[in-house]
Amino acid sequence: SIDSKCTPLKREFDACFTWWYSEKFLKGEKTNDCEQLFKAYQACLKTVLHEKGLDKMIDDARPSIGSPFTGSGQK
Amino acid sequence: MRLFEAAHIFKHDWETVSLANWRKYPNEQTPHVRHVEILNQDMDPETGILRTERLIMVQQPVPALVRRVFGGDASYVLEYSEVDPQKKTLVMQSQNLTYSNLLSVGEHIVFQPHTENPSHTLFTQSAQLKASGALFRLANKIEDMCWNRFNDNAKVGKLGLEQVLSKILAERQAMMQTSQ
Repeated sequence: SIDSKCTPLKREFDACFTWWYSEKFLKGEKTNDCEQLFKAYQACLKTVLHEKGLDKMIDDARPSIGSPFTGSGQK
Repeated sequence: MRLFEAAHIFKHDWETVSLANWRKYPNEQTPHVRHVEILNQDMDPETGILRTERLIMVQQPVPALVRRVFGGDASYVLEYSEVDPQKKTLVMQSQNLTYSNLLSVGEHIVFQPHTENPSHTLFTQSAQLKASGALFRLANKIEDMCWNRFNDNAKVGKLGLEQVLSKILAERQAMMQTSQ
């Protein structure tokens, strides 16, 4: 992770995500198994992005890539 | 402005190649990709489309001129992607965050089943590199250097994905053996 304090949370989420992607998502199952792990990882990332001053750069670049997301780590 | 285009056929089905995309990093073929973070992700309950926003941090040695003009060799890239499991498409669009006032690099990637052989996957990649007019006579040279680096990275990126595909295949074979 860009900050080592988020690495354990990222690893847990990544493991869940790759499992979910091949065992659920690609098989058409619309479950949300990794939600809690993602929220924990996102919460950690949010503080790092803010500390590094990346929030605004991310927001500014969103239109150019067609990203529908807003804020940093929030829906 | 410089344009980059590449296409490749991966000899694996679309589901496997799209999974390999998510498992690509870290990869010894692509040491320049240092960190990849998922910033946002959701799935549309109606269409089943998976939408993901990722932040990618890239760092690699660059020509002295590039380092001087940009003031560094590390950059952040923002990527937005959509996976449509019914249409079997993975579409990705990315843009550099860092140095954006000097150089804009926008990349578009599509993974989809190969029309001639649906058990294989077609990968198409296109990118636009545009240096700022503020760089004056250096603009063309900077664009050329960055295009060359982009080309190099694209080649190792492809090797990296092939490597992950081999790994996935080996895991599946191992699983089949243990269940016999």
